[in-house]
Amino acid sequence: MINPLLYFLLFLKASLFSTGGFSNLPSLHQDLTSNGWATDTEFGQSIAIGQISPGPNGLWVISLGYLTYGYLGALLALIAITLPAFIVLLISAGYHRIEHRRWVKGFMRGISLAVVGILLTVVASIIRQPGVDWKGWLIGVVAFALAWTQRVNILVILALAGVVGYLLYR
Amino acid sequence: MEEFTGLWNLCVFTPGINLLALTILIGRKLAGVRGIAASLVGLLLPSAMITCLLAAGFKLVQNNPIVQAALRGVIPATAGIMLLVGVRFAQPQFSLARKEGLLSLGTSAVIVLACFAAFAVFQLSVIPVLLCAALAGMLVFTSWRARTGTVPPELLKAAEEEEDKRD
Repeated sequence: MINPLLYFLLFLKASLFSTGGFSNLPSLHQDLTSNGWATDTEFGQSIAIGQISPGPNGLWVISLGYLTYGYLGALLALIAITLPAFIVLLISAGYHRIEHRRWVKGFMRGISLAVVGILLTVVASIIRQPGVDWKGWLIGVVAFALAWTQRVNILVILALAGVVGYLLYR
Repeated sequence: MEEFTGLWNLCVFTPGINLLALTILIGRKLAGVRGIAASLVGLLLPSAMITCLLAAGFKLVQNNPIVQAALRGVIPATAGIMLLVGVRFAQPQFSLARKEGLLSLGTSAVIVLACFAAFAVFQLSVIPVLLCAALAGMLVFTSWRARTGTVPPELLKAAEEEEDKRD
């Protein structure tokens, strides 16, 4: 049984201590799977849906909410990712005081590098999903290369991957 | 444009989705509290609804074998795209570090790999790891003696010689 309050708080915690739309993934993954409230497969599916849907990347959390807890889950997820953004109002009131301190830049660089590590973790956790074999790895590499060229739209890449997946695994 | 950059700097400090923070700042600038509400609803309502409906639609067809097969192609492709997101995120960090020299470059790589290992191998929780990375960045990238934000060349050279001796 999912406890709605705890469920919401886990989403809120993940977003509060994240930067950018995807870095809440490891925290959510740890908390939800350990409670048995979400599976690895649901994470993979939510990220795929998030890539397809419009709006900021971070909205993948809404599909995770829906897939694990229905419309209530989607709503709770939406609130949980929106609330932390309001902290910007506090920051805009206080930032000018620390902006020019020497340590701020290094501090932020450390966080940005950690986010790169988080993104690599996300890649690793998707590629280790059940059902991803060597052909899946190949699809991933080709998708990376196509996206790298910036000539092919992400949606087209995902659609192509879907067609290839259908042809390979039907 | 300069004002936009200023606003964006604030958003980088804000947890979660930076674009939402920027939306809040712009909304406030245009029409105060009402502006915040209107701009957030304008950004989130359509995209959140579409995301939710896509998820709902997916749930209806997810047991269909065709969808299952297609998804086995789509999921690794999202990993490839996500890897590109990571690379693009890393690029400015590493080109900055390269300009500062080997010490910065090495430290940057170590922070990334250590964080990856912390999550993927040791399953540590995110918050302490982020804090450690931020502190490490603060200690290494801040030039405590120099006035500017970069590591002075003579300090860097000394550090490199130190490294050489150890080898």
